[in-house]
Order: sequence, then structure tokens, then C-alpha cells
Amino acid sequence: MSAFFDAWHYDGKSAVRRKVEVQIIGAQFFLLETERRHGPFAFSDIEYVTHKDDADVYGLKAADGWRLMLSGPVPTDLNAMLPARRNYGGWVDKLGFGKAAVAFTLASAAAIAVVLLSPQWLAPLIPSSVDEKLGDALVGDFGGRFCSTPAGDAALKKLVASLDANPDDLQVEVAKIDMVNAVALPGGNVILFDGLVKQARSPDEVAGVLAHEIGHVREKHVMQALLRQMGLAVVLGGIDGNSGALVNNMLSMSYSRESEAEADAHSMKALGGANISPIGTASFFDRLSEMDGSANSSTSDNGIAGYMSSHPLSRSRKDAFEKSIVKGKNYKPALTPAEWTELKTMCTQDRNAKSGFGFDFN
Amino acid sequence: MNDDLSQRHSAFRFHGSWLEFARIAFPNLLLSIVTLGIYRFWATTREREYLWSKTDFIDERLEWTGKGMELFVGFIMAFLLIGLPLIVIQLISQGLIFRGEAILAAAMTLMMFLLLFYLTGVAYFRALRYRLSRTYWRGIRGGSDDPGFQYGLAYMWKSVVGWLPIFLGVPWSMISLWNAMSFGPHRFSASAKWKPLMKRYLLFYLVPFLVFIGAVVFGISMAASGGTPDTLGSTGMAAGAIFAIVAVLSFYLFLPLAALAYYSKYFRLAVGGLRLHNLEFDFRARAPDWILFFLANMAIVICTLGIGYIFMPYRNWKFFVDHMEAYGEINIDDLTQSETVVAKHGEGLLDAFDVGAI
Ligand SMILES: [Zn+2]
Repeated sequence: MSAFFDAWHYDGKSAVRRKVEVQIIGAQFFLLETERRHGPFAFSDIEYVTHKDDADVYGLKAADGWRLMLSGPVPTDLNAMLPARRNYGGWVDKLGFGKAAVAFTLASAAAIAVVLLSPQWLAPLIPSSVDEKLGDALVGDFGGRFCSTPAGDAALKKLVASLDANPDDLQVEVAKIDMVNAVALPGGNVILFDGLVKQARSPDEVAGVLAHEIGHVREKHVMQALLRQMGLAVVLGGIDGNSGALVNNMLSMSYSRESEAEADAHSMKALGGANISPIGTASFFDRLSEMDGSANSSTSDNGIAGYMSSHPLSRSRKDAFEKSIVKGKNYKPALTPAEWTELKTMCTQDRNAKSGFGFDFN
Repeated sequence: MNDDLSQRHSAFRFHGSWLEFARIAFPNLLLSIVTLGIYRFWATTREREYLWSKTDFIDERLEWTGKGMELFVGFIMAFLLIGLPLIVIQLISQGLIFRGEAILAAAMTLMMFLLLFYLTGVAYFRALRYRLSRTYWRGIRGGSDDPGFQYGLAYMWKSVVGWLPIFLGVPWSMISLWNAMSFGPHRFSASAKWKPLMKRYLLFYLVPFLVFIGAVVFGISMAASGGTPDTLGSTGMAAGAIFAIVAVLSFYLFLPLAALAYYSKYFRLAVGGLRLHNLEFDFRARAPDWILFFLANMAIVICTLGIGYIFMPYRNWKFFVDHMEAYGEINIDDLTQSETVVAKHGEGLLDAFDVGAI
């Protein structure tokens, strides 16, 4: 069996262009020039390279630059021996464009869903030793900024013990940083900034914020957010910088709202259990949002933006705390006046603590 | 068999049409979206296949033989070798700041910056090497056996030592990387003269000063004419406002113009200094061509609400090929296959740094 067909050929060794005839003999073929015969070549070694205008370009395995260019109608017997053309690339060509687009959409949606949902049940599986090590590595002694006085420490300890059943695996500290902020970090670390303690008008206000941060710890929000961020970074890594970051922020924002609501719920429950009135927390939120609204009357509190950026203060949050007041319940102050004064002046009294600078971390 | 290029109008010709390109670019966009961007490596490959196949050099089309998978693997490698360590270093230095070790954190950040600087140079080199090794003409490809590590160092010191950082040092090092490249058996040589570039370069740096001097002169003349702007009343205020607008405009208008004027000269000199065996090259676009080109690009992107962005590879390539010129002779029999190694992975580093080689 033999067929002839006109084609162009480069042998890959020099740039000379050769007009050849393809002679098919079974699963092999020769390329015939006027005085030379190239080959035999096996059809199984032929690869599709590209399409060049009106011609399809084929290469030969392990022969760099070897080219066979066929243009015009290719005889069916030759066509049957040649590899399929490549258009979009492997999988898409196999499935077809439409099916591939649908399949990719589903796979992408599934990947995002896994990344967003799995941290909720993955976070509790992370051993607490890992969590603690991470917290130690991150926080350490906080650059010597933690304040400590015997009476202040005792007041803080009492406050934590009233809000949580297992206060031993929490590390709650007040840091000498003049910002209205509080953070929950890995390893059960909760840091209240001195700016927030000083700003508060009653121990009940501090108790609400503290219980909220303890809520983040107990609900494993820190580890969840960490896992989610890592997952999103991998899944969205393929998208170019800006739009990827935008999608990432939007997705993690919606989740942080959810965590904030959970932490608030935890806080209200803890306040109720400790017999502390939630009205303090509500009025604290109220004052903060007022300060935010009148930004130009900045009352030297450079740190309000800090708490606001990590804790969007919506009216509904304040309302929820107000609604959780149980009428006729006999609320007690979170701390005695003496204890409250000790806590509030702890950082002023402690001269060894280094004072912080206004770096921003949420 | 010789081809005498001087008898032809232009050795490079582009035959593409944007309608054909659209049929590649739109499906690419869709597939890139539904794959969360992963398809973009294959998208780039398809676009290059098209652009190369529509580009004539003398009497034969170019061929792009790169694969999407190569770019993808390159990206993954860059992520594992550079992206992950960078994230870890960043976490550690944040922890150090937390613990009050600001100096140590700063030192680490500086190290990270230097490493990135070095790798940027290597990335430029590797991207050019990859592109040449995947470009075929008459069955012959280009390439380089140099891994580019030394070039990374050269890129660093040339950028730093040229006391005007980045801009004047970069052209030197950018073009010198061609010296390590070859096509077929022939080596490229780059020997551009940079003195003619100085004037435009200074112009680029002078614009802010000129604006500043203008402001000073304006202030003095106001004072001389009998008062500060606020004693002159509303006309003085209006004049001041107009001047402020002009100053801002000139900053945002003249600075890019000066940069384009500089870049067009740079490109002309760089390509003009390039040789391959008996071939010499020339780039004919002058500053007004570049300005029109960029204005048109901006208009396209803005008028299509950003969708036109997907045509930028087409526009860039067309602009490049349309203005490329080559002179000299090619002995086809002498043009034998390149013996350089073919790297298996693509432009990962470059992709990670988001920079483009010339
Ligand atoms: Zn919170």
C-alpha cells in the first residue's frame, strides 16, 4: 500500500526547506525528494506541533526541529495515520469546549467550597500543642510590653475566671499600647490593649470585649481563619495579583462577619453566666461608633480605627447586646471599684513594661 | 542558497487579524475564569502560537512550540522555591516585630529584598532563554546553555552601581543578556551605545524639578505683583487653582511622556545594537509612534470597560513586529540546529515576579 502527497519538510539539522512527497508504507512513511529519500519514519512517532496559516505542522519525537507541513486537503488514508490536532489543549480538546467549561466551573466551585468550609471541622483537629507553639512563636513576651502588678493581675484573673470555665488554658494580658483594640491569637492568647482598658468607663465594658475575644479562642476562629487564608492563597494563587486578592478579601470578610457574630453570642452567654450586665458592652460599642462618625473631633485616641477595622461596629451588634439584658435580673459589677482601679492603672503603675508603638495588626 | 534582505521591504511581517485573535482570546478568558486562572498558562501558549504563526521572517512563518504545561510547572516551581519561603520569612519577621526584635526583622526583610532582586535578574534571563528555545524558524531554534545565575549577579550590581538606580543600570544589563543567547549555531551579540540615551534620561528626571521651579517662579511673581494669593482675592485664588491643576496635569502628563520618549530611544538603541552572525536589526518606532500606541491601548481598554485588555498581547506583538527590521544575509546552509539544552519548564520565575522581558 503506498500513497503520494506533496508536502514541505525541514529535517531539523539545517534550515533548508525541502519539497517532498509522502510515501506511505503501512505504519511507516518515507519523504521523497528529487534525489534523496528520507526515512523511514514511524507514524507513531509523529506529533502535532502547530497550525501555521493554511498548513498543519507535524514534528517527530526526539528529532528537534524535524517538520512536516501539510496544506490543502489531506488524503483520508494519510489523515487517518496522523495525530489529532490540538486546539485548546489536552483536556479541553478531549471533552469539547462547552463540557470542559462546565466541568472546570464545577471543579472550581468545589475547590472553593472545600477551602471555605473545611476549616470549621479541620481547626479542632489541629493538636493544641501546635496551636500553643504557634502562639508562643508569635507572641512570646510581646517585646516586654505586657503590664503586670500583683493587684492588677489578680483583678484580671478574677475577670477571666468569671467569664470562662477553663481559665487555665487562656493567656490574657494587658499590653502597654495606646490603641483601642483587643486581639485573639493562636494558643489561647488574648491581648487587651491598654488604650481600650483606659477608654472603658466600667469593668463591665472590658468584660464584654474580653468575653468576645475569649469567644474567638473557644470557637477556634483564629486557626480557622489561618487555614482558610492558606487555602484561599493556594486556590486563588492562579489568578493574577489584584483580582485574586480582591476575591480573597471578599470571601474571608464574609467569614469574619460570621465569626464576629459567633464571638458576640459567646460573649453575651458568658456575661449572662457571670451575672454581668451587657449594657456596658452596648454603650462601649455606641461610644466607639460615635467617635468613628465624628472623625474630625479626634480625641487623641489614635487607635479607634484599630478596633473598628477588625470589628466592624454595626447597629445590630449593639442592639443584640441591649436585647440580651434580662429584666429584673440582679446584675453585679464585673469588678469591685478597687479592683477596677487597679486594672485600669496597671500599665501606669508598671514602669518596667515597655510602651508600644502604633503598629497595626488585627 | 542565500537570501539578500536588502532587496526586501521588511524582513518581518505580521499577517494576523484581531478578529481571528478574538476567537482565541475570548474562549481563553472564559476558560481562565472558570479554572480560577489556572488555564492562563495554556491561554498564553495558544495566543503565542497564533501570533508566531502569523509572523513572517523573510519567507517562512515563525513557530511557537512552548506548552501550557511548561509554564504551569514553571509557576508551581517558582511558588515552591520562592513563594513559600517568602511567606515563611514574612511570618517569621512579623513574629520578630511582635517580640520587639525590629532590627532583626529589618535585616531579614532586607535579605528578602536582595534575594528577590537577584532572582528578578535570573528570571529575565530565563524567560528570554525559554522564549528563544521555543521559537522555531525553518526548523531551527534558539537557546542558551547559560543558566543565568551569573546574569542575576550582573543585573544586581549594574542596577545598584549605576548610581541612578534602576533605570539607567537596567538597560545595560537588560541588553547584555542577549550576549548569552544564540539562534541555531550563531550567537547574538549586543553592543548598544548608551550615551545618546542620557539626554532623554535626564529629561525624565527633570520634569518634577521643572514643575517645582515653575511653582517657585509663580510664587515670586505673585509676591512681586503686590501680595500673596489670598490678598489678591478671587482672581488670585482662581489663578492659583489653575496653576495647581496645570502643575498636577503636567506631572501626570509630562512624566509618562518623558518616560515614553526615553523608552523609545532605549528600545531603538537596544535593538539597533543587536547582531546575529551577519544579521543586523533595527527598530523603527520613534517616540510619537510609542505615544500613539499607548494612547490607543488606553482608549481600547477604557472604551471596552477593560475587556479590551485581552487584546494587548496582540497589539504589543503587532507593534513590535511592524517596526522590526533586519539587514544582512542569512546563509541557509550554515543555519544548523542549535545545540543548546532545552529547559523543560517555562517562565515560572518571571511569571511570579510579574515582569516582562523585551
Ligand atoms: Zn472579634
